[in-house]
Amino acid sequence: MKLAVFNGSPRGKNSNSAVLIKQFLKGYQAVGSSEVSVSKLSNRKALAENLDVAGRAENIIIVFPLYTDCMPGIVMEFFEALAGEKANEFQRLGFIVHSGFPESLQSEYVERYLTKFAKRTGFDYLGTIIKGGSEGLRMMPPKMTRKLFSRFYELGFYFAENGGFSVEINKALRNPRRMPGLMRALFPLLSKIGLTNMYWNMNLKKNNAYAKRYAQPFAESG
Amino acid sequence: MTITILDGTPAGFSGQLSGLLKGLSAELEEKHSLNLFSLSSMKLHFCTGCWACWWKTPGQCAIKDDAGEIFRAVINSDLLIFASPLNAGFTSSLLKKITDRLIVLLHPYIEIRNKESHHKKRYGRYPEIGLIFEKEADTDDEDIEILRDIYGRFALNFHSRLKFAVPSEQISAEEIVDEACSV
Repeated sequence: MKLAVFNGSPRGKNSNSAVLIKQFLKGYQAVGSSEVSVSKLSNRKALAENLDVAGRAENIIIVFPLYTDCMPGIVMEFFEALAGEKANEFQRLGFIVHSGFPESLQSEYVERYLTKFAKRTGFDYLGTIIKGGSEGLRMMPPKMTRKLFSRFYELGFYFAENGGFSVEINKALRNPRRMPGLMRALFPLLSKIGLTNMYWNMNLKKNNAYAKRYAQPFAESG
Repeated sequence: MTITILDGTPAGFSGQLSGLLKGLSAELEEKHSLNLFSLSSMKLHFCTGCWACWWKTPGQCAIKDDAGEIFRAVINSDLLIFASPLNAGFTSSLLKKITDRLIVLLHPYIEIRNKESHHKKRYGRYPEIGLIFEKEADTDDEDIEILRDIYGRFALNFHSRLKFAVPSEQISAEEIVDEACSV
């Protein structure tokens, strides 16, 4: 196996990770017919099988959403298993981390862990792609995702041609690293008129849960 | 003071952490209200990312398992201690399993704090955070720094602060008590 991609989203096939992987692979496969496998870490019964796939791949890419400032629990479970195996010679490992937060800075902390993880397990480190603002991606109309999708297509295309991530595209995807000052200044206003929480409110209302949105079911009185 | 300890030691792991936590618990119980959860003996599932807790049943997780008693203990504590042996450079997936699900205690709405976007509070107050980890054979200073920073980030998002992050072999129960009780 030339490339093994692991989808680390707990949502499995209905995830933003799956959407990004699809675009990446479109570009990757446009170059030629090199072998690719995609496995879901949410299928935890297949842990042994997933390890086996990883063990036979030249390149491994693990894609996941940021969960509580780090990797989701199911990804950590996979890391524990991978660390027990140790890499074969010349195996390469890279990551794609995305998060709902708009700024890529939020994912830089887990990036440091991932860099160290690749080193301690003996993989050649391919780097980590970071993309913020990914929540709701799979439900967005094509107009809103066109630019992002073409970047992931280019990322996959470049990977197939060069055997690694494009530094340029990674840099573009990481923008913005921080929320711009103007945006921060306007945020309270945007928040007040409901623009910053539109996505949440839409879903709260759809589920008839809007009135209960501030519920505190675990608060103990006194 | 109310203290909750989440012991993420995997089943069958034989280190000194669980022993330390037992000693610590005995001491803490004399003066404080203590909840010690041994995660490996509880029925807990991984977060599925369904977001029922944010937009279907606000504040309530859709998964029916033992996590509810942990949510209640955590949000009503003054101090939350994460405890785990390190494996693959991080705390256990067992501990991460419950950590992921703590988003039930936050609100989906975003606000600006520390010049960054973070989730708003769901509750009035959040516990301070401590971390006790047991080193693995190849743990070095860089690993500890990464760990400390990631837990620091979690604390920031959790409307809290990381009060201490200490390796288990370098600290006694007495010292942790002092650390926990210092203002």
